[in-house]
Amino acid sequence: MTTIAPEPALSVRQVLTLDRVLAGEPEVVAGASHLDRLVRWVHVAEAADVGVMLSGGEMVLTTGVLLAGDTEAQAEYIRSLHRAEAAAVVLGLGRAFPSPPDVMRRAAERCGLPMVVLHRPFPFAELTEEVQSRLVRRKFAAVSLSEAVRTALTGLITAGAPLQHLLDEVAQHAGCPVVVTNLAHRVLATAGERSAVDDVLRDWERIARQAGGNEGDGWVRAELGGRGERWGRIVLCGYRGDTATGRLLADRAAEALVLHRMLGGSAHSWEEESAQSLLTDLISGIVPARQLLPRARAAGLPVNRRTFVPLVVRDGDPAGLDRVLRMVGLPGLVAELAEGATAVLLSLARDQDAEALTAHFATRLRSESGAGNTVVAAADARTAWEDVPAGLREAQHVADAVAQSAAGLDLPVVVRLRDVHLRGLVRLLRDDPYVQAFAERELDGLLCGDRHAEQDLLPVLRTYLASGRNKSRTAQLHHVSRPALYRRLEAIETRLGVDLDDFEQAASVHIALLAHDAQQG
Amino acid sequence: MSRVIRAAVFQTAWTGDKESMIQVHEQAARDAAAQGAQVLCFQELFYGPYFCQVQDKAFYEYAEQIPEGPVVRRFQALAKELGLVLVLPMYEEEQPGVLYNTAAVIDADGSYLGKYRKHHIPQVPGFWEKFYFRPGNVGWPVFDTAVGRIGVYICYDRHFPEGWRALGLAGAEIVFNPSATSRGLSRYLWQLEQPAAAVANEYFIGAINRVGVEDLGDNDFYGTSYFVDPEAQFVGEVASDKETELVVRDLDMAKLREVRDRWQFFRDRRPEAYGPLTAP
Repeated sequence: MTTIAPEPALSVRQVLTLDRVLAGEPEVVAGASHLDRLVRWVHVAEAADVGVMLSGGEMVLTTGVLLAGDTEAQAEYIRSLHRAEAAAVVLGLGRAFPSPPDVMRRAAERCGLPMVVLHRPFPFAELTEEVQSRLVRRKFAAVSLSEAVRTALTGLITAGAPLQHLLDEVAQHAGCPVVVTNLAHRVLATAGERSAVDDVLRDWERIARQAGGNEGDGWVRAELGGRGERWGRIVLCGYRGDTATGRLLADRAAEALVLHRMLGGSAHSWEEESAQSLLTDLISGIVPARQLLPRARAAGLPVNRRTFVPLVVRDGDPAGLDRVLRMVGLPGLVAELAEGATAVLLSLARDQDAEALTAHFATRLRSESGAGNTVVAAADARTAWEDVPAGLREAQHVADAVAQSAAGLDLPVVVRLRDVHLRGLVRLLRDDPYVQAFAERELDGLLCGDRHAEQDLLPVLRTYLASGRNKSRTAQLHHVSRPALYRRLEAIETRLGVDLDDFEQAASVHIALLAHDAQQG
Repeated sequence: MSRVIRAAVFQTAWTGDKESMIQVHEQAARDAAAQGAQVLCFQELFYGPYFCQVQDKAFYEYAEQIPEGPVVRRFQALAKELGLVLVLPMYEEEQPGVLYNTAAVIDADGSYLGKYRKHHIPQVPGFWEKFYFRPGNVGWPVFDTAVGRIGVYICYDRHFPEGWRALGLAGAEIVFNPSATSRGLSRYLWQLEQPAAAVANEYFIGAINRVGVEDLGDNDFYGTSYFVDPEAQFVGEVASDKETELVVRDLDMAKLREVRDRWQFFRDRRPEAYGPLTAP
C-alpha cells in the first residue's frame, strides 16, 4: 500500500486495554458479550436524563452522583442509555457508589449494555483526552487517505491515463483484486496481482450474481453512474482492511471512473478496450491461452463446450461489427488489432455449422455495412480453446495476404488460407530466415538502395508478374508506352540477372517479391 | 440426453414504415434459423411503431385479421420454409371497431395454432392503450408447438401474477413476454418481475422489449431482452439497451424438471383458499 490506512475504529474492548484506562482497574460487570461494539465518542455526563443527549455509539462516563439511593432512577438510567444506543457505560466507583450497584448491573445485563466499573479514582478527563485524540486521528487519517487517493486518481485522469492505470492505482491502495463490470456483470477491466485476479475471475459468474453485497467478507462494491443512469460497478474483491476504509476506497475509485468516462478519456468504450486487451493477449501468445480463459468467460464469451471461429475483418469498424453480431445473434468478441484490421472471435454451439454461420455473418456484414468489398478472413473453427491463438494468427495472415492482393484475386465472401494460395503460404513463412534470405538474394539488384530501381522498376515488376506477364496490360496500368515498358523490363532483367520469359526464373522472382512484400505488411 | 430448446427473441427499433419493419423481422427469422433456433418471438406490436404514445385513430389501420390477414399469412410461409415456430405479437382487428393487442402463434410447419389476447390494458401517460384495445377474452392458452409448450403474456400483463400462474398450470414450458416499455417508467421492474414469475411458476421466460426513441413521443425503449430460467438466472447475457439484437439461447428443459422436483409449488398451492382473489 502506498498510503497509511486509517487506524481501525476503537471497540469498547480496545478502550479498556488502553494504559490510562487500565490504571483505573476497570472491571466489566455486565454486557461482557458486547465488548466489540465500536466507540464513536466518549461523553462525560452526570445528568440523570443523559439518554436524550446521545445520538448512539457513545461511551458514557459517570460517577452516578445523581443516581445514588434511587434504584428506579438507576434502572431507568441504564434503559435510557440502551434506548439511545450508547456503546457502553463506565461508572467510577467511590464518590456515589462504593461497589457496583446491583440494580444497574442487572438492568445493563438485561439490555446487553456493557457496563464497566473503575475501582480506582480516576480523572475522566484523561480518558476522554486519550480516546478522543485517537478517534480524531482516525478521522483525520481517513480524510487524508481519501484525499491522497483522490489526488492520485485525478492526476491520472487529467494526464489522460487509460482506465487500466486508474485501476492499477486503486488496486495498489486496496491491496486486493479490483474488478470493473457493466450491469450485465461482464468484466470490463481488472487490476491487482495476476494470480489473485484469475482466482476471482474463475468463479466470477457465481460471485457476481450474489445479491446485495455483503461487505463483511471484504467484497466492497460501488455503483458507477451519472446523469441518472447506472452503467456498471467497481468491486474490491476480498479487501483485507476494515470495512469503512474499503468503502472509502471504492467510493473514491467509483468517482474517478465516472469522471474518466464522462470526460471520454478514450476513443473506445470500456467494453471495446476489454475485448481488445484480451484478443491482443491471445494473439501475442505471451500469456498461455489457458490462463486467459477466465478473462474470456468473464468478458461474456460463452466458453464451455463451444466451437470458436477466429476471424479478421479488413476495413470494418469495430462498433459496426459489434452491431451486426448483435443483429444476427452471434456471441463474439470484437477488437481492432491495427488500423483497418479487426479481430472477431465467434463462439458457437458445438452442433452449429461453423462454416455456414461464418458465411452467413460475412454476407450479412456486407449487406448491413453497405460495403460490398468488406473481406472476412477466417481460420478453421477450433474446438479447443488452446488452439484459438493460432487460429487468430492464421486469420490475421490471411487478412494481410488479401490486403496486398485484393485487386488481383476473385475472392469469396469468406477468405481462408486455401483461397490466398501461394501468397498465403509466403505470408505464413515470412519470418523464416531462409525465406528472407532468398527474397533478398533474388531481388538484390533492385533493392540495392537505388531510388530509381525501388520507385520505378519494382512496381513495374510487381504488376507485370501479377498480370501474368501481360505486357500491354502492364504498360496501360503504368501509363507508359510499350517501348518504354520494354526498356524497363530489360533494365529489370539486367539488374536481376534473370530472363523473365523463362517460367521458372520468373516464378522465382515472383515468389521473392511476394516474400519481400510480406515483410512490409 | 435432456431436451434442449434453442429459442430466440428479437428486439429492434422502428424503421419508419410497416413494410421495411416486416422485412427486418423476416431477416431476423432467417438469422435465427441459420443458428438453428427452433422458436422465435418478436416484440409487442412488432411491425408498427409503439403508437400508444398518442391517441390517434389513424393507427387503427395497423390492425389486421388473425389469422386471415396478410402478415400472418406471410409469416406462416416463412415459418414453414425455415421450420421455425414463430410468435407474432400484433394489432388484431376482429371486426371493424373491435381491436385487440394479440399474439399469433405459428407452428414450425406453418400452421396457425391460435392466438393470445392481452388481458391487462394500461392507460397511463405514454401508454394510452385503452384507446386502441379491448381487454383480452380468449383465456390463457398454451400452445403445443413442434418444440414445446409455449405461452404468451403481453407487456403490461407481466405485472399481474395471476396470468403467469394460469399459464404455468396449463403446462407452459416457455412463456414469451413481448413488451414495449420505457426506461424512466419500468427499468427497475424489468429484471425483477419476470425472473420472479419464472421462479414462482418454474418455467423459462423470454422477455422482449423494443429499442430506441420513436417520433411519436419521448418513451425511451430500453431493449435488454433476455431469457431467464426457473432459478431466475439469465441464460447467457442480457441484450443491449440501445441496439437491435437477436438473442439465441439454449434452454435445457432438464432444469425445469430439476427445479420442480426440488420445489413442489404446484402441489402445495391452495386454490380452495384463494376465493377472495377472484371475487369481483
